[in-house]
Amino acid sequence: MKTEKSRLIQIAILAALGLAAALSLALPQLLRGEREPQLLSLTVLLRDTDSSGWTVARQGMEQAADELGAELRFLTLAAANDGAEQEELLLREIEDGAAALVVVPADPAALSAALAPWLVVCPVVTLESPMEGAAGVVSPDNALLGQELAEALLEDWDGGEVLLLDTAGRCAGVSARLEAAEETLAAEGIPARRAEALPEEPPRWVMAFEPSVTQRTAEGREAGGRDFALYGVGSAAAITAQLERGNLAAIAAWSDYAAGYLAVRRAVNAVRGTGGALGPLPFFILREEDIYAPENQKLLFPIMSSSSR
Amino acid sequence: MNVFRRLAAQWAERYRKMSIQMVLSLSFTAVAAAGMLLMSVSLIWRFSAVNEQLVAENSRRVLAQANLNLDSYLRRMMRISDTVYYRSIKNMDLAEDDLTGDLSLLYEENRDDLVSLAVFDGEGALVSAVPLTALKRDAETADSDWFQAASQSMENLHFSTPHVQNIFDDPDYPYRWVVSLSRHVQLTRDGATEGGVLLVDMSFSGIEQVCRDVTLGSGGYLYLIDGDGELIYHPRQQLIYAGLLEENNRAAAAYRDGSHQEKFQGRSRQVTVKTMGYTGWKLVGVAPAESWFAASPQLPLFGLTLLLFSIFLMAFLNFLISARISDPILRLERSIRELDKGLGGVKIEEGGCYEVQRLNHAVASMVSTMRHLMDDIVRQEGEKRRSELEVLQSQINPHFLYNTLDSVIWMTESGQQTEAIQMVTSLARLFRISLSKGKSIIPLADELEHARHYMNIQQIRYKNKFTTEIEARPGTEGLYTLKLIIQPLLENAIYHGMASAEDDGLIRVTAYREGEDLLIDVEDNGLGMRPELAASLLDEDRPEVRTKGSGIGVRNVHQRVGLTFGEGYGLAIFSEPDEGTLVRIRLPALDREEAERRRQGEEL
Repeated sequence: MKTEKSRLIQIAILAALGLAAALSLALPQLLRGEREPQLLSLTVLLRDTDSSGWTVARQGMEQAADELGAELRFLTLAAANDGAEQEELLLREIEDGAAALVVVPADPAALSAALAPWLVVCPVVTLESPMEGAAGVVSPDNALLGQELAEALLEDWDGGEVLLLDTAGRCAGVSARLEAAEETLAAEGIPARRAEALPEEPPRWVMAFEPSVTQRTAEGREAGGRDFALYGVGSAAAITAQLERGNLAAIAAWSDYAAGYLAVRRAVNAVRGTGGALGPLPFFILREEDIYAPENQKLLFPIMSSSSR
Repeated sequence: MNVFRRLAAQWAERYRKMSIQMVLSLSFTAVAAAGMLLMSVSLIWRFSAVNEQLVAENSRRVLAQANLNLDSYLRRMMRISDTVYYRSIKNMDLAEDDLTGDLSLLYEENRDDLVSLAVFDGEGALVSAVPLTALKRDAETADSDWFQAASQSMENLHFSTPHVQNIFDDPDYPYRWVVSLSRHVQLTRDGATEGGVLLVDMSFSGIEQVCRDVTLGSGGYLYLIDGDGELIYHPRQQLIYAGLLEENNRAAAAYRDGSHQEKFQGRSRQVTVKTMGYTGWKLVGVAPAESWFAASPQLPLFGLTLLLFSIFLMAFLNFLISARISDPILRLERSIRELDKGLGGVKIEEGGCYEVQRLNHAVASMVSTMRHLMDDIVRQEGEKRRSELEVLQSQINPHFLYNTLDSVIWMTESGQQTEAIQMVTSLARLFRISLSKGKSIIPLADELEHARHYMNIQQIRYKNKFTTEIEARPGTEGLYTLKLIIQPLLENAIYHGMASAEDDGLIRVTAYREGEDLLIDVEDNGLGMRPELAASLLDEDRPEVRTKGSGIGVRNVHQRVGLTFGEGYGLAIFSEPDEGTLVRIRLPALDREEAERRRQGEEL
C-alpha cells in the first residue's frame, strides 16, 4: 500500500517536473506575444483651423507615441471652435477604430454629452480645458494662470482701463483664465471690460487668453503701429518672437512639448489601464528680458530639430 | 527556534513513515537538484560577469569611436576658426580690408555645420559677421559666456554648451540651437593691434548627428556632457529639459574614464565614461543591467528549461535506481510481515545487491531454523501428551487385574475350574496383546482379539448379564490400528450401559472400512444418555472426575487417536436415553507398510 502511494507521489513529481520543463520551453513564445503590444491608433483633434501653433506640442506627442507604441493622426477643424464639427469628427474617428482621442475641446460640456457612451471604450484626454468623463486633462491651472497674468499687468499698470479679450466662446479652460484675471483686477479696483475683438481704439492695457488670439493681437499691434500693453498666453516661437520684438509685455508660458508628450502618454496609459492621474502643467510668466535665460530657452525652444525619432 | 524544532520533528515523523525507496529517491533528487541549481546559479553569475565585461568593452569601443567622430568634427570647427584667424584676421588691417569676404567664403564651404561666423572687438562691438550682419538692438555681446571665456583665457579655444543664438537680428526669429566656439584674436587696425573675439557658431545638429546614431546594445544609449555635467546632447534631451525625465549627468561628471556601476532611479546600470581631449566634454555610455544580465531574454528561460529537464531526468533515474535498490528489501519486509501473520509456505527471495542477499539469506536461514524448532516442539509436545495418556491408560490395568484375579480365586474356590482356566487364559492373551513388544500400532485383528478376551473376562465376572458380538467386516483384513483403544470403550459400556442389564445386555463391536478410513463402532443397548452429555464426554475442558465410567478413558482414547493421526480422527459418541450408546472410532486405514513407517517414526 505504502509502495503504491510512493509510486503515485513519484509519478506526480515527475509529471510536475516534466510539465514545468515543457512550460519553460513554451514560455518564450508566450512572452514574445506579450512583449509586442499592438500599435495603438490615436487621433489628435484641435479646435483651430491650422496646427502651426501646435508644432512643438506635436513633437512631444510624436515622442510619446514613438516610445509607447502608438501612431497619431492629426486633425483640424474647417472652422475654428466649431463644436459640432468636432463632435462629428470624433465620432467618426471612434467608429473608424481610434483607440483613444486627444482633443482640444471647443465646447467641453457638449462634447462630453456627445461622447458619453463611447468614453469607456475610447478614452479621451483633453488639452487646455477639462471635460467630464475624460481620462485626463493636460493644462496649466487655468485660474491660477489668469490670476498671475493679471498680477503681471498690475506690476506695470499706471492707470487706465484694461480690455479683456473674451474669445473663448464655450471653451471652459480659456474662460477660467479670463474670469480669474477679471477677479484679480477687480479686487485691485482696476477698471476692466470684456470685448470679443480688439476695438479700433484699444485702451492702454489689453489681455488675451488664447495663444492664437495673443499672436494675432500682437501682430496687429505691430502692423497697426498701435501703442498698448498686451499680456497674453502661449509659448509658440511666433509668440516668443512678438515678445522679443516688444509687442507683448508679458506672456504666461508653459512647455508645449511637455503638454503634447503628457497628453499622448496619458491616452496610451488609459487604453492600457496603467498610469495615474495628471497634475496641472507648470507655467511661468515671461517677459522679454527673460527669454534667453537658460532654463527658459530649454522650455521655449525645443532642441528637436533632427533628433525626434 | 520553536518553529525549527517543530519542523524538524514533523520532518522526522514523516521520515519514519516514508518507504526506503521514497527516502532514497527524494534524497538523491533533492541533492541532485540542489547541486544543479548551485551550478546553474554559478554559471549564470559567471555568464553575467563575462557579459558585463563584454558590454563594458563594447561601450568603451563605441565611445572611442564616437569620441573619434566628435573630435574630428570639433577639430574641423577648430580648423575653421584657425583658418579665419591665421589666414584672414592676422593678415588683414581692418581699417583697409574687409573681413566679410573671407568669412563668407568659409561659411559657404561649411554652411551645413555652421550657423554664423563673427568677429568682435574687445568691447563686444561687431567687426564682421556672416550670414547675418546686424546685431539685435539689445544684444549684450560682451556679457555673453563665450565672450567672457575667450577674453579671460586668451590662449585657448572655448566651446560653450548648447544655447539659442540670440545676438543677431534675424527677421525670421528661427531660434537656432548652436554650440559656440570662441577664441581671443589680435585685430589689426591702422597698424595697431587690439584684442577681439572670433565666434564660430556650430549648428547643434552637427553634434547631434555624430551622437545620434551611436547604439549601445539593448536599451543602451549615449549622452554628452561638459566638464560640469551640463547636458550637451542626450537622445531624450527635450524630455529632460521639459522636466519629464531625469538623467544622472551631474554624478557622471565626477566619474573617471572607464566603466562604473551606478543605481539611478532604482535601476542598476553600467556607465562608461570617455573624456574628450581638448574640450573636456565627457561621452557617457549607459547600459542598463538587463542588457548584460540577459543579453537575450530567452537565455535565462533556456537555462531554466535545461535545469528543469536535468532535474526531471535525474529524478527519473533516481526513482529507477532507488526502486532497484529497495525492491528486494521491500520484498523481504513483505515476506517477514506475512510470516508474522503466521502464513505458512512463505518463500524468502534472495535477490538484490550483496548486502541485501546476505540479509535475505540470514533471514531465510533463521526462518528455517525457527520452523524446525517449532516442529520439534510440537512433535515433542505431542509425544509427551501421548505418553501421559498411555500412562493413564496403563493405570487401569492393575485395577482390572486385581478384580480378574479375585474372580479367578473365587471361581477356583467354588470349583468352577473350567471358567477359571478360561478366565486366566483370556487374561494371559489380553496381556500378551497389551504388550505387543512395546508397539503402539498393532493389527486390527489383535486389537479385536484383545477386546474379545477382555469381554470374556468381564462376562465371567458379570455372570453373562450381557452378550458380546465382535465383527470385522470384509475389507478390514490386514489393517492396523492404535492399540488398546477398544477396551476403554468396552469398559465404559459395561459400567455405564450394562450395570443394570437383566441378562439381555448386548455390546457389539464392529470394524469396517469407509473410504480411506477405518471405523470401529462400539455399541451397547444400555441406559444411554442425553445427547448433550454424550457430546460433553469428549470435551477437553471437562473436569476430570475419577469414577467408574466418568468418560476419562473415552476422552483419553479420543486424544490419543487425535495426537497420533491428527485432526479429523478420533471418537464420536451417539446416544439417546433408554436406547443405548454408540461410540465410533475413526482411524486412517493403515496397511502394513504404513503402520511400519509410523512405528519407525515413533522410534525416531
